[in-house]
Amino acid sequence: MARLLLQPWCLATALMVPLLTLGTPPLLRLAGVSPCWSVLWLLPWALADGPLSGALAGLGLGLLVDGLHPGWVSQLPALVGLGWWWGRLGRRGPPIRRSFNLGLQALLGTGLLGLSLMGQWALISWRGMAAAGGRPGTAVAGLDLGVEPALLALPGWHGADLLAAGLHNLLAQTLLTALLAPILCSLQLLLWRQLLAGSRG
Amino acid sequence: MPLRAARWLRLAHVGRAVRAWPWLLLLAVLVGARLSRGAGIADAFALLSRPFWPGPAQSEWLRSAQQLGDQVRIQQLQNDNARLRSLLQLRRSSSSAITAAVIGRDTAGWWQQLLLGSGSLQGVRPGQAVLAPGGLVGRVVSVTPTTATVRLLTDPASRVGVLVPARQRHGLLAGVGTSRPVLRFLDKDPGVRPGDVVVTSPASTLVAPNLPVGVIQSVQERADPAPEAAVQLIAPLEAVDWVQVLTP
Repeated sequence: MARLLLQPWCLATALMVPLLTLGTPPLLRLAGVSPCWSVLWLLPWALADGPLSGALAGLGLGLLVDGLHPGWVSQLPALVGLGWWWGRLGRRGPPIRRSFNLGLQALLGTGLLGLSLMGQWALISWRGMAAAGGRPGTAVAGLDLGVEPALLALPGWHGADLLAAGLHNLLAQTLLTALLAPILCSLQLLLWRQLLAGSRG
Repeated sequence: MPLRAARWLRLAHVGRAVRAWPWLLLLAVLVGARLSRGAGIADAFALLSRPFWPGPAQSEWLRSAQQLGDQVRIQQLQNDNARLRSLLQLRRSSSSAITAAVIGRDTAGWWQQLLLGSGSLQGVRPGQAVLAPGGLVGRVVSVTPTTATVRLLTDPASRVGVLVPARQRHGLLAGVGTSRPVLRFLDKDPGVRPGDVVVTSPASTLVAPNLPVGVIQSVQERADPAPEAAVQLIAPLEAVDWVQVLTP
């Protein structure tokens, strides 16, 4: 396994992910949210090339897409985990590569990726709260002269924001990626399998 | 005989009253004018004197004189403002701008950002404020030689000090991942109303002061830990194709 990883031009196709992330056409957006191109590239790669290649591709892809966004919240851990998991699933043969299953795996993967981002933002927010002296409300309960500015300046998503905007993003991206996966992932999987069969022959 | 005399007297009263009706009418008009404080008379005067009113040229002279006076006043205030800000070591409000094209846009999703087609080679630096037609949209967070990434005001990590000039209330504009950032006030009772304009804070050390930002849409007085207001940004983020990066 991991033969695809040894072919530089195959790996170079990963460059399409940041380009598409930056320039997703409006037609491919749902409520302004673009599909998760990382998942759409990583899923067929890992299914075709195994867990090690999937995890390493997830690592490289995570570094690539994290560079596009400001802040310290990272997609890298989720992409490495997904690459490994999908690589192991790929060993189960053709049933896992059917269109419906590809859509289901993309749905789960995008959902887990979104949840990992929400978890990181929640952690940052929680650490900020702790640094500011306690939970909101309790810290300002005794103050009559105003609001503690440190609480307002906390970075990241607050709990209520996570439930509203975060859930909206999660649902829109998950649905859109799952809808595109049967088409795009099937084509990529076909290409990778033909390349692997050619390299064996 | 007495009957005839009585008839003659009655007819004489009626005849006198008939002859006096114009005077009675005039009296009624005068009383009416008094009670209505000149209504009718003033209107009649306005109607009659209309041909002699000051023409458009005269009003134009007055308007241009007013504008000139305003310009002089604004210039003086700007000079005063610059002098006071330099004393306080705050950022100057006057700055030059670099015009940049928006080449990538992500206004929904996990990150809200713009990618500009100008970078460090054109003089763009991290931290500079970015303006679109209408007002502030965000700040530059990272630059490459030819591109710059702008964190929008709607991004959850964005925090900008703002002021509601009509009520003189300060607050922190925080992105929450939706198209409308939230203004969290520093006062327990901000007293703001929907429709109030929000500008960048004159005390800000991050962005230039008094840049228009948005309009308050709704106010939530009982929010925790501070009263909040949803703010509609003036600049349309979805439709912005060109922006200006303010350089110090």
